[in-house]
Amino acid sequence: MKKVSCIFIVDDDPITVFGIKKMLKSVAECDDIQIFQNGHEAHEALKERSKTGGTIPEVIFLDINMPIMDGWEFLDELIQLEIKEQIVINMITSSIDPLDHKKWADFKDRCPYPLNFKNKPIFKIEANELGCMGIAS
Amino acid sequence: MPKATALVSQEGTLLDASCSWLKMFGLASFTKGKGPEIFTLFPENIELKQQLKDNLSFTLEHTIKVNYTTLHLKSHFAPWFDEKENVIGTIVQTDDITSETKKQEELDWLHNILETKMEVSKTGWWEFDLKTEELFWCKETKRIHQVPENYLPNAQEAINFYKVGYSRNKASMLFHRVTNNLQPYDINLLLVTYMGQERWVRITGKPLVKNGKIIKVFGTIKDIHEEVMANTRVREHQQLLSTLVDSLPLNVYVKDLESRKILVNKSECNYLGKKPIDLIGKTDFDLFEKEYAQISREEDLQVMKNLTPIIGKETKSVLNGKVTHHLTSKIPYFDLDGKVCGLIGMSMDITHMKKKEEQLRSLNAIAVMQNQKLISFAHIVSHNLRSHSANFSMLLGFLDAEKDPTERLRLIKMLRQASDNLLETLANLNQVVDVNSNTLVIKKPVHLRHAVVKILQEQSALLEHNHAQVTNHVPEQLQINCVPAYLDSILLNLVSNAVKYKSPDRKLQITINALKSQKGIELSISDNGLGIDLNKYGNKIFGMYKTFHNREDAKGFGLYLVKNQIEAMGGSITVQSEVDKGTTFNVSFNEES
Repeated sequence: MKKVSCIFIVDDDPITVFGIKKMLKSVAECDDIQIFQNGHEAHEALKERSKTGGTIPEVIFLDINMPIMDGWEFLDELIQLEIKEQIVINMITSSIDPLDHKKWADFKDRCPYPLNFKNKPIFKIEANELGCMGIAS
Repeated sequence: MPKATALVSQEGTLLDASCSWLKMFGLASFTKGKGPEIFTLFPENIELKQQLKDNLSFTLEHTIKVNYTTLHLKSHFAPWFDEKENVIGTIVQTDDITSETKKQEELDWLHNILETKMEVSKTGWWEFDLKTEELFWCKETKRIHQVPENYLPNAQEAINFYKVGYSRNKASMLFHRVTNNLQPYDINLLLVTYMGQERWVRITGKPLVKNGKIIKVFGTIKDIHEEVMANTRVREHQQLLSTLVDSLPLNVYVKDLESRKILVNKSECNYLGKKPIDLIGKTDFDLFEKEYAQISREEDLQVMKNLTPIIGKETKSVLNGKVTHHLTSKIPYFDLDGKVCGLIGMSMDITHMKKKEEQLRSLNAIAVMQNQKLISFAHIVSHNLRSHSANFSMLLGFLDAEKDPTERLRLIKMLRQASDNLLETLANLNQVVDVNSNTLVIKKPVHLRHAVVKILQEQSALLEHNHAQVTNHVPEQLQINCVPAYLDSILLNLVSNAVKYKSPDRKLQITINALKSQKGIELSISDNGLGIDLNKYGNKIFGMYKTFHNREDAKGFGLYLVKNQIEAMGGSITVQSEVDKGTTFNVSFNEES
């Protein structure tokens, strides 16, 4: 069981959020799991934490298709915040659009954080998705 | 007046002569018995000596040169008898026939001229004596009939030379009329010659009247076969050419150096809607708008100056306000001396082809657009359905592993939720498919203001609850051609959208306007609500399941449906918005059905 200080789940679908939370229970120990319905909310929270010196999430589960601010826009904003701490970002989507996969590959190159791409349905959260490998390397 | 006489001895010596005779021969008087030999006076007649010996009467015509002038003389020689009837010499009586001879020569000359003239002009003459019923044909007339020179014609035979049928009937009738009614004639008829050749002749006839009575008919006959045949060939060529030019499915025209039309064919007349007489002498400036006439004139000048044709150029012109397209060719036109004297133009009307091409292009654009819509719809469908099925898989996976009955109940509840979501999505997608598959949407005229009022009444509870102030500026008389159910959906979605995204800081104001423009009817619905940052979301606003405000009831489906419905009716929708100021949706309705 890995201990994680803070996790952000950014998804507008309550069922997916429920699923992720449920799966996390068996692999991680975390007291600070935050749910956001879109990229905008998550970005605001992250900005606030970064400014005030609050806990930066170690892991973010990020949906792509969301209202107001989608996953890609959130990533753009996140990169601009220039947060020093390591964040593992897991993109979770039901999209099988090759365009989304290509976008992910582009972001992977310029994003300073590990960026995983996971197609729904998900049944299990892997260890590297919680940053185990990232820290080791 | 006694005749000039001379007496000649049997030996041929001039014995005595009258003064006039001597003068005629240019002789002075001589001593009796010592006159000159008669033969010296007739140098041309070498046989005279012999003839005198025969003691018979004869006449000679001869000439003599006296004082550089030539006299024509006619001398009669007769034997001279004594009382006992013995021949003792010859009596010569001579007449000066110089003037008669001259006249005869002149006559011969005139006759010759006439003959030549007739031969050259191939005109002969004929004469019919009514009393003797004798018909005379001159040499040329005989030549025209191709009869031998000794041929003796009569009236009936002459008529029978004309070809059976029209020509013979006409010849017979005209001859009858000229003899009976003194009616002259002049006509072209077909003759069958003695040799069996058919030849065209021009014949005339007129009566010669003496003391009010016809005595003769005089006429001419002229061989005009070559002329008639040449003329016929020319007319045949003209006929062929004009039939060809007139029946060509092209506008054909000939212009002179000043670009004035000097020939137009039927197609050109039909195209311009005018008769040939109204087009001859006209230039393009008289027929078309100046701008296009100028282009045409420049083309004409180019062709006539450089002598190079323009072939198959696409041209555009405006005739009576209607745009027409042509495939035009212009070629220089040369006179018989090889000098350019204008141009020949041919143009094919390709207006309908152009129209078809445009239709095809717009159809293609529609097809491309539809295709894009289909692809994007397919993506939406696959994405939305996939996300639901992914949820099912995940939840079922949990359910399989879960032992705790409370937790299981919770999972089942969530599965039901997922199922409801799927059903709703399917219902939405179905609506979109419905809109897009009804390609033959039936449009009806709808009173726009009434339609707006109806929606506002239906939504009155919602509007009142939100303290909305609605201004309906739609003109009273405005009729709109649309699918009524779609119009209701469009109005409902746009009005409820304005309510949904009202500003918490301002009293909601909604303004509905409509006006008829050239493009169709434009409807606008404006609010003073939250507004949208169009730089950020402009291309997504009408996308499916795109929402831009944090609202529970925002599903991102209304505008997507509205856009589909408007486009299904051939219209379009645009949006203007400013954050925290308000939003205006502009809907253009296509009035064509």
